[in-house]
Amino acid sequence: LRPARRLLCVASPTAALATDGDSSPASSASMAQPAVVDVNPPRGTRDFPPEEMRLRSWLFDNFREVSRSMAFEEVDFPVLESEALFIRKAGEEITQQLYNFEDKGGRRVVLRPEITPSLARLVIKQGKSVSLPLKWFTIGQCWRYERMTRGRRREHYQWNMDIFGMPKVRAEAELIQAIVLLFERLGITSSDVGIRLSSRKVLQAVLDMYSVPQHLFTQVCVIVDKLGKLSREEIEKELISTGLSSEAVQGIIEVLSLKSLSKLEEVLGSGVEAVADLKKLFSLAEQYGYADWICFDASVVRGLAYYTGIVFEAFDREGELRAICGGGRYDRLLSTFGTEDVPACGFGFGDAVIVEVCPPPPSSGSFSRVERRKLLGRRLKFL
Amino acid sequence: GCHGSAATEAGVVELNPPRGTRDFPPEEMRLRTWLFDHFREVSRLMAFEEVDFPVLESEALFVRKAGEEITEQLYSFEDKGGRRVALRPEITPSLARLVIRRGTSAPLPLKWFTIGQCWRYERMTRGRRREHYQWNMDVFGVPGVRAEAELLQAIVLLFERLGVASSDVGIRLSSRKVLQVVLDMYSVPQHLFTKVCVIVDKLGKMSRDEIEKELVSTGLPCEAVQGIIDVLSLKSLSELEQVLGSGAAEAVADLKKLFSFAEQYGYADWICFDASVVRGLAYYTGIVFEAFDRQGELRAICGGGRYDRLLSTFGSEDVPACGFGFGDAVIVELLKEKGLLPHLSPQIDDIVFPLDDELQGPASCVASSLRKNGRSVDLVQDKRLKWVFKHAERVNASRLVLVGKSEWERGMVRVKILSTKEEFEVKAGELQ
Repeated sequence: LRPARRLLCVASPTAALATDGDSSPASSASMAQPAVVDVNPPRGTRDFPPEEMRLRSWLFDNFREVSRSMAFEEVDFPVLESEALFIRKAGEEITQQLYNFEDKGGRRVVLRPEITPSLARLVIKQGKSVSLPLKWFTIGQCWRYERMTRGRRREHYQWNMDIFGMPKVRAEAELIQAIVLLFERLGITSSDVGIRLSSRKVLQAVLDMYSVPQHLFTQVCVIVDKLGKLSREEIEKELISTGLSSEAVQGIIEVLSLKSLSKLEEVLGSGVEAVADLKKLFSLAEQYGYADWICFDASVVRGLAYYTGIVFEAFDREGELRAICGGGRYDRLLSTFGTEDVPACGFGFGDAVIVEVCPPPPSSGSFSRVERRKLLGRRLKFL
Repeated sequence: GCHGSAATEAGVVELNPPRGTRDFPPEEMRLRTWLFDHFREVSRLMAFEEVDFPVLESEALFVRKAGEEITEQLYSFEDKGGRRVALRPEITPSLARLVIRRGTSAPLPLKWFTIGQCWRYERMTRGRRREHYQWNMDVFGVPGVRAEAELLQAIVLLFERLGVASSDVGIRLSSRKVLQVVLDMYSVPQHLFTKVCVIVDKLGKMSRDEIEKELVSTGLPCEAVQGIIDVLSLKSLSELEQVLGSGAAEAVADLKKLFSFAEQYGYADWICFDASVVRGLAYYTGIVFEAFDRQGELRAICGGGRYDRLLSTFGSEDVPACGFGFGDAVIVELLKEKGLLPHLSPQIDDIVFPLDDELQGPASCVASSLRKNGRSVDLVQDKRLKWVFKHAERVNASRLVLVGKSEWERGMVRVKILSTKEEFEVKAGELQ
């Protein structure tokens, strides 16, 4: 029997030279030296050797198992989409970092930055042949093009669950159960992680109070979403530059700092839809049994242009990481694609932050502490 | 009905996925998942480990200039940083890249599999697809034909799991060493080897004259061209031995050994020698094989071979390697033809339905605890009971759990077993 032998490597791992045009696999010694190819994957992307693949499969299996227990059906889409699907001009970070290019036929295409527009596309395409509600999930890779100075990743996998055709807030309550189920399966508890939520109708109510024109709503949301990342002054500046009065700006910032529903009710009044929605959601949460996971936080707005109602994000209670997942209601996306609106609600759950939060998976047939530490270390480098 | 596009203020939004690509709505996804699960299960039985790579790679990884169709139809472009990248047309170069990258930390042999999407850019006149999924199994570090024997077993196992028999499908095989021997006989320079292989692979698709013309245009003398074509029409190993003599000893020995393994593995009736099998990729160096539909109507179902000198083209030391690619398109056509496509429908364990609007909360409570117990549960609201029963049929639900006012007040729910129509009350807290 031949003993296993180690692979000897001559190429340096960071060698990155252009291929010599005339070389061929059958080159004999008389030709110029063979080409040296960069053995690393493209900048910002990852290979999945067996250990990493096992971790990924473990995570994705959990995504699928939760989706199955919620009775969602799996779907999938091309990772390449028409660029037109993502032109929203609302100042979102996601549309500013499109991985777009022109294909050989001159068409503008993009490696998708998110999955929701593809879902919407498919829902419209299926038209009358499907009966609502639709409960679909998918796990797909999403891309962004960003200058590499910050060493950030250019791709990640994202689990999406979406419900079409179920008006508020029962759909949101179902989606939040899915998220909680996932955390529980990974051994995470409500003392590790929380889900903060609010409703864009809160912001809508404030803008109405100050007679701010409707067409500014989306832009305001996108600006206000940066409250955690930019200073209060910078946020105020950006809001003023959209044309808002300073009273409106103050009003917005004040309402967004509210941390209790009752305070919100005081400020906005109890007849307001936003308050009723949120109260109903909290009451459902009691019935589902996950009330200790969620909390109201008026500053939650999320950064996508199309949310119209309840919005939520899961966060690590130690406060060190970015949002683990996020989502919300988007009742008016389909009309931006030229068709009749259908109430819709969904979330995206990436594969990067969660692995830092969760305790290591069960060790049976899995991998060693050393491997896990190495994996986490590698991930932290990419954030 | 579905429209091709919808008008918006931003312009027309195309509802179809990009040309040549597919969406996977639930039914299509179920079929794909069913197929991929078989790929994974066979890989598991063969003790291969799963790996994956970015679908985007540097274009340099695929620039081979050997005239292969696969490199001529590269889906390449320049990214915003001016780098030439490509949506990979195949997975083997990524595998090779990772093998080199792992360097000394990887004890051989490596047995890896992956299921990934591959792309090509082709003019759309022929209505062909621009993407497909491909299951790849590769063995690194096993020289000789033992690795090929393992890979062939994997392929046969997969067919058997799908209900395909050796009377439906066969695997024809040969070795590139045969062609090598012929070229040596006619003193054809070594650097033409790859090009000759790629041309000769088109024997099924182009006429004999066209093939001869292309061979001559590479600089081969007429006798060499005739010799090649003659040898490639040989249909038995003994004929091959006769025609090529001792120069082909290695090629013949490889093939004989493989056939002997096949007997031991129990799949000898699936395989046959066919000297015309060359395969169209530049880097194969030894045994090559492809599975074909015996009715002769479809393209190759899968194909692969040995490629012992790929890593040196990436600047590293060579490692014996062997693998195959198995696409998701032809196999489905074959299964359709044979009536072997499964009928897959959704499968839900429980439907929970509140009989009253005000029982939404309690219904959520019931659904939630069932899900925590591992049941798949559809919580239905805002529908009539009639709809619920139809829906239960559509999703093949096992049970209907009805939350009614008077029952709930007593702490009970009503459970209906849909297959037997039995109905009974259960304490909500004891429902499992």
